[in-house]
Amino acid sequence: MARQSPRGVVHAMQSVRSTTSLRAFLSQRSAAPAYIIPGASLSTRTQQWKNARGYATEVQPAAPEIDFAKFHTQPTRIIPRSPAYFSGSPKFIDHLLRLEDILAKYVSLPTVSAAEAPRKAWFKLPQFRDVVGEPIATKKYKGLLKLLQRLNRIDPNLMPKAVRLSLDDFIRPGNPYGNKPAPATVDNLGRARGKGKRKASSAVVHLVEGNGEVLVNGKTLVEAFPRVHDRESATWALRCTARLDKYNVWVAVRGGGTTGQAEAITLALGRALMVHEPALKPTLRKAGVITVDRRRVERKKPGHVKARKMPTWVKR
Amino acid sequence: MIVRHLCVRQSRQLFALNRQAYNLRRFSSVETPTSTPIETAAQTPTEEPVIPVPTGDALQFSTAAQSMRRAAYKVFKQKETRRSQFQRLGTDLSKPYNPEDIITNPPHPRDITLELLLAAQTHLGHSTSRWNPQNSRYIFGIRDNIHIISLDVTAAYLRRAARVVEEVAARGGLILFVGTRDGQKRSVVRAAELAGGYHIFERWIPGSLTNGEQILGHCEMKVVNALDEELPQFNGTLKEQAAALKPDLVVCLNPIENVVLLHECGLNSVPTIGIIDTDADPTRVTYPIPANDDSLRSAGVIAGVLGRAGQAGQSRRLREAKLGNVEYRTVLDRSDTLGTSIAEIVDEGKKRR
Repeated sequence: MARQSPRGVVHAMQSVRSTTSLRAFLSQRSAAPAYIIPGASLSTRTQQWKNARGYATEVQPAAPEIDFAKFHTQPTRIIPRSPAYFSGSPKFIDHLLRLEDILAKYVSLPTVSAAEAPRKAWFKLPQFRDVVGEPIATKKYKGLLKLLQRLNRIDPNLMPKAVRLSLDDFIRPGNPYGNKPAPATVDNLGRARGKGKRKASSAVVHLVEGNGEVLVNGKTLVEAFPRVHDRESATWALRCTARLDKYNVWVAVRGGGTTGQAEAITLALGRALMVHEPALKPTLRKAGVITVDRRRVERKKPGHVKARKMPTWVKR
Repeated sequence: MIVRHLCVRQSRQLFALNRQAYNLRRFSSVETPTSTPIETAAQTPTEEPVIPVPTGDALQFSTAAQSMRRAAYKVFKQKETRRSQFQRLGTDLSKPYNPEDIITNPPHPRDITLELLLAAQTHLGHSTSRWNPQNSRYIFGIRDNIHIISLDVTAAYLRRAARVVEEVAARGGLILFVGTRDGQKRSVVRAAELAGGYHIFERWIPGSLTNGEQILGHCEMKVVNALDEELPQFNGTLKEQAAALKPDLVVCLNPIENVVLLHECGLNSVPTIGIIDTDADPTRVTYPIPANDDSLRSAGVIAGVLGRAGQAGQSRRLREAKLGNVEYRTVLDRSDTLGTSIAEIVDEGKKRR
């Protein structure tokens, strides 16, 4: 556009325009502003500064001096603290992305199996919600826990310090796995004691080395349990390890019926046997002796016939 | 539950059989057949490295655990170096395609070529039966019953969108990148990181703009100066008075699933950029980019380009700020209560000096 018209006229016009606008600008902001406060026509002004050609005859106005000490303390914008601001749970998402970054960085490190990894007590969800101060869905927190568990499986010998430190942020205070109960021992008379419960029954077993005698509440096994099945159950811990003729058993059992009593004895006997021979634990676990059956009878509710059963509907 | 109960309870004969077996075992079980080896954690450090004799304080810290750790680390490093050496053997590939490049080193707006867009599958539309006739001007033709999007149009619209992102970033606007489909997370986060923007890769919470006080009220904000340095003296005022922020530009990688977001943006006059496939409604967004939104590569390339544009805008803004130029409305220019109270704090600070 400018090139097509006679040059001299264009130059003259340009210089006049730029100087007038600048003069107006300088008079307006004579109080040496710390920085250019944007006005409506600011962009056009700066544009003109850039486009205006300099001539030796023109006086070049110096840009207003900037007081940088003030410039640093001058607020300009309000912005979110986290890039995940608009998600509604920025802190949680920042944690998640940070852990993912760490995992991506150290994914090639060798891992150990979950059982061998050091046991860590991660935050429970309500606690973590308190720490972060955001509503976090259960499913999302499970995803985070999976990440933590994966990072925790990195071989402890090779775990970098950065990983260890970031994992520590998610461990709940007060080490719950720190205070372990002292392992039970055989007393000075050679007795091992074990307790077990099943249904409404609870049993206490004293186990000594011997020749296979069993007394349940002062009665023999056959007297205590007329059903063969119950007898099998009660002595199953010894039977499945072929120790039936190697120990003598005294049992005190209370509450419940015969089945409950027999299976309470199973559990108690298994626990007592583990005091004598801890190495039997895998065998006993496979035999189903260690696993606690913690089901109890569900209470009856008002308005129900039994725990869940509703009265029959009658038309009127 | 004890498994054995199952068979025993089934029939009495089976149970009898069981007892017989037991009797036999009883007689033969004088020696206990169960082998219960005591499991000891025998961790043999493969090779104890020659540790230089430590002196003074260092002596205290070199525990057994540390030496074990060091040995394990050394073995691991050896393995790694061996692997990297072996990997170098064999054929030399020149310029192999690395899918990670879209994330790690996304293309700049100046790199937009039709080849790039074609390689990223941006031209593939939807089945012709699913089309939105409003997109007819972006469509090049039909092949295998699929609409093919015109790549030169895509390139032009992508360049325009990149320009928008750059200018918004250069004026200190908040740019929100949204991609809520599976697999878009990394490109969204990366684009936001490059552009100094914000990201959403999970569900957009409806009402975040129209009811921001309730939904984003607890999220933290900060006041910064022109050089993006935080000014902590305003934190108290912010907590008391600041309303939830709204983005100044929204980039949506899957507008079809985010109709609510786009509607809210329309209500709040927030401009939007969106990838418009042949089945999408182009009037939902302010600046459409006609392209394939179902391919992660296509969405990744577009997000990358826009991220790079934002990066250029941010660096331009910071460069200008170092020269003392602020080309946007600042907090002090606001006429609301927050603007005035922040201005008061600034004035008090001046008086103290």
